[in-house]
Amino acid sequence: MNDTLHLMTVYSKTTARAWFQYRVDAVLRSLAVFARESTGIIVIYFTLLKFNSLNGWNIYELLFLYSLIFLTYGIMIIFFTGLRDFGNMVREGSFDRFVLRPRGILFQIIFVNSDWFAAIGHGGLGITLFLISAGKVGVHWNIYNALYYLFAVIGGVLIQGAVFLFIATLNIYLIETGSIKELLYWNVRKFAGYPISIFNKGVQFLMIYIMPYAFVNYFPAQFLLRKEDMSQYPEIYLYLTPIVGVGMYLLAYAFWLYSLKYYKSSGN
Amino acid sequence: MSFIEVNNLSKAYRISKRKSGIPGMVANLIAPKYERKEAVRDISFSIEKGEMVGFVGPNGAGKSTTIKMLSGILYPDSGSIKVGEFVPYKQRKKYVGNIGVVFGQKSQLQWDLPVEDSFELLKAIYSIPDDVYRKNVDRFTEMLDMSGFINQPVRQLSLGQRMRADIASSLLHSPEIVFFDEPTIGVDVVGKEAIRKFIRELNREDKVTMIFTTHDMQDIEKTCNRLVVINDGTLIYDGELNGIRSLNGEARLLDVFFSEDTAVAPIKNVQIIDIDNRHRQFVFDGQKVMINDLMSELLKKYNVKDINIAEPDIESIIRKIYNREKVLA
Repeated sequence: MNDTLHLMTVYSKTTARAWFQYRVDAVLRSLAVFARESTGIIVIYFTLLKFNSLNGWNIYELLFLYSLIFLTYGIMIIFFTGLRDFGNMVREGSFDRFVLRPRGILFQIIFVNSDWFAAIGHGGLGITLFLISAGKVGVHWNIYNALYYLFAVIGGVLIQGAVFLFIATLNIYLIETGSIKELLYWNVRKFAGYPISIFNKGVQFLMIYIMPYAFVNYFPAQFLLRKEDMSQYPEIYLYLTPIVGVGMYLLAYAFWLYSLKYYKSSGN
Repeated sequence: MSFIEVNNLSKAYRISKRKSGIPGMVANLIAPKYERKEAVRDISFSIEKGEMVGFVGPNGAGKSTTIKMLSGILYPDSGSIKVGEFVPYKQRKKYVGNIGVVFGQKSQLQWDLPVEDSFELLKAIYSIPDDVYRKNVDRFTEMLDMSGFINQPVRQLSLGQRMRADIASSLLHSPEIVFFDEPTIGVDVVGKEAIRKFIRELNREDKVTMIFTTHDMQDIEKTCNRLVVINDGTLIYDGELNGIRSLNGEARLLDVFFSEDTAVAPIKNVQIIDIDNRHRQFVFDGQKVMINDLMSELLKKYNVKDINIAEPDIESIIRKIYNREKVLA
């Protein structure tokens, strides 16, 4: 255990040192991520100035909804940078190196690289949006709500981590999965900036049951905000985020373990 | 019971058979066709502790697949592998702590960081005790002459320097077995020599078992005492390096230059290779044809300017074996 913690520290130090070889680029990278993601929000902001509300959600409530996406992604990417870049590892064969070291393979992939700058860019934006909106959406921040929020964030991190792990695992079979990720993850994420109730049934189904972004931000935000459009969904969904997260992650992990055997028996 | 025991090892890949052109691409997408390629067929051998064994064979012969199975990266389809007390592909985590693998084409060093930082990371990964780590780093730094660049980022190193650092990095945890996959590829002559010398010393002093795959026969001749030749997935030679020469009979070669354009009549038991009209090589078995007889015959019949006697190098013998079927020693 101690040994593992020590290794984690050395991994993070190594990563940090490598990043700071290019200091200017490092700082700019965080800024670039922050700016890129902010533009989407600025568009929403000015649209809302014209309409006042979207299906009953005012601008601060929407920012609150949005903040959860960025916060959870920012935390997730600290752990799963290696899975984001997993396709390259398989293609270049550097994956073999992990197999040759006396440590868990997923453990190595998770800790060998952490994109702290993407994390700061996304997470920083998430925190900024949270700070702007949290006081103005009428949430009473008692210990009960704060704990709920904490578990919702953990669940949201696990849901996205599971999706990353699942797509990374597909690399073992398909070698290249960039477009699957684009289709499944990034496109659906664009919907997740809005309350899902504004979409048609098909998109709602997609976001609740297929690529369950609704559990990353919509349902947790609803628990705290209690907007009217929640009435069309089962009440229980407000509490499911951590369970969906753990469940999806375990499934993705099982798929990963199964596929590793396949990699070992199929080779290149 | 030998240290490494490999019995009836086989492994086949399923490779997709691609048709060319756009109709072919569509056909692949809808109904991909696969072909079975038997990479390794029924290979058996054993290796003792401290041996240095060279695996050679043309590209795609199955040496890499064999090495990957030995190092635990791939599962065999059938057959068994036992290394010491371990079955590599089943007890991966415990097993790989005892082995080191050097890939000539793939560095395991951190590209942007000084060599020593990569070493520190490996120390943590393999949980190397402080004293062992310090001792190994000092020793390898001296043996491989790395003191001049150990604090430089890897991206600034020459290929030879990087290779030396890579070899050291694979040995920090004092492995019992080291696999070298083309350890001198792209390195200049001086660098190659330094690497070979280091490998010999390490084997002599620490009794580390070493397994090579390479295309450079010099690597094998200068380090290994045992040679395993694999072609088309099967083992076609396993024995002493020198034994492979006698396998071909006592092969001899006469290299003859004539002072004018000369046509040579066929000679019994001698293979004649035409280099050009004035330069021919005569290959024969020293036990069947007496070299003196052949030389005097040539000198008598033709106008000879220069004549050289040579033993064919191992490389050309192996090339000959590749083209022949199984000749087990």
